[in-house]
Amino acid sequence: MTSLAESAREGPAVEVRFGQVALAQVRIRTTDASVIVEDLSKRVAAAPRLFDRTAVCLDLSALQTEPTAEQIRDVSDAIRRAGLFVVGLAHGTQAIDTLARELQTPVLTQFRPVQEKAAPAARQQRQPQPQPEQVIVHTPALMQYQPVRSGQVIYARHSDLVVTSNVGAGAEVIADGCVHVYGPMRGRAVAGAMGEVTARIFCQEFRAELVSIAGVFRVFETLPPELAGKPVQAWLDGDDLRFARIGN
Amino acid sequence: MTEIIVVTSGKGGVGKTTTAASIACGLARRSKRVAIIDFDIGLRNLDLIMGCERRVVFDFVNVIQGDCSLKQALIKDKRIETLFVLAASQTRDKDALSKDGVRKVLDELIADGFDYIVCDSPAGIEAGAHLAMYFADRAIVVVNPEVSSVRDSDRILGLLSSKTQRAEKGGEKVKEHLLLTRYNPRRVAAGEMMSADDVKEILGIEVLAVIPESPDVLSASNAGTPVILLEQSDVAKAYEDAVARLMGEDRPMRFIEEPKKGFLARMFGG
Repeated sequence: MTSLAESAREGPAVEVRFGQVALAQVRIRTTDASVIVEDLSKRVAAAPRLFDRTAVCLDLSALQTEPTAEQIRDVSDAIRRAGLFVVGLAHGTQAIDTLARELQTPVLTQFRPVQEKAAPAARQQRQPQPQPEQVIVHTPALMQYQPVRSGQVIYARHSDLVVTSNVGAGAEVIADGCVHVYGPMRGRAVAGAMGEVTARIFCQEFRAELVSIAGVFRVFETLPPELAGKPVQAWLDGDDLRFARIGN
Repeated sequence: MTEIIVVTSGKGGVGKTTTAASIACGLARRSKRVAIIDFDIGLRNLDLIMGCERRVVFDFVNVIQGDCSLKQALIKDKRIETLFVLAASQTRDKDALSKDGVRKVLDELIADGFDYIVCDSPAGIEAGAHLAMYFADRAIVVVNPEVSSVRDSDRILGLLSSKTQRAEKGGEKVKEHLLLTRYNPRRVAAGEMMSADDVKEILGIEVLAVIPESPDVLSASNAGTPVILLEQSDVAKAYEDAVARLMGEDRPMRFIEEPKKGFLARMFGG
């Protein structure tokens, strides 16, 4: 006799599906675990919801010397202590493959794999293998049609944020890409939350309390009359935030 | 010596924030260094009453979580040099505060040499209100002359005598004061409102001040000015008396009786 649960189940017990998931990459420039914990914790504290139990891929390409498995274990522990989870190593050199095997962790292929810079001799030793398929993904903008109320935070991870309604004072609209607000914008706007310096902020009716792009911010204690209530865009010019009217 | 004063009530909308802002301003005007902290995480209002809402970058929760230094988060008042505001976070909830976190911030303010720390409590008796009163040396219980407010204040007075650090350590008690707001002597005389004496009798503690009902409170709030700064207002005078009494001055109670009408006004019913 089959149990109720079994008879209710259709198809095989395990389904394997292929698809893309967005994954943050952590590129380390040191293997000093304490420095990494400190640095990452600061970022996590700045946006705790953003990083809450986030899966990350560890990118070793910026290290000067090749790390040992022991070092990478320490680094992974450090990252976990900061609240993130290392789920694999970023695709790179042969040495990384070896390291990954030793650590029993997967190697994750980047969409645009960084070509191995190692000596050609090392490359020749490798078995010819099919090139990983290059996929260009487009993360659609996060659309917000409802008003964003005071105290509410809307975050568009890995994408732009489009708000077609109003953003109240004390509300926060955050995107890794650009922020577009088509209603009155009275709250805080944060673009390039992960450091994208080309991100911009566009507001149809600008009355923001605070504007930040890639960590550079400006508080508007009083709104300049030429911007208040006007269509405005903000962008980063070096270390300076610039503001200008859109249209006339 | 730093004194920590909590302004609390239990019931919402009785004038805690208005009172906290005016008391803090009054103390600071007497050249005391004063920090005022908004404990109402998620529903911050103190910054509006103090008129610094567009200058808030970092808040109380940021300081507790180590995102910024206390110095970065303290907003210096534009009118009074010795007054600083620590705003609440609007985007978090009350669970973002912890006893250790609050203690750390208060200790830092004490080490920095502040004379007074005024804690503006949220309504209710949950975590936020509890943390606002926990470290207090002195409590101002704001009460409206009506039964539900009086009952809630009674509850708060019970908590002050059992759930504070002073109560737990079993040393000196938290000094308690009643502050009546929205007091309307005419309606008291007509028997429509409880009198200051009624309230004092039920709650059994001294009245620090009676603040008359006045449209000045609303207009001051809307303008982002603590009402104590409206010099001509009776409300400002009543709060100034409260500050003086807090600092040990003896002042007669004002505004508890209906103003005597002049002869002409009586004749013509003015």
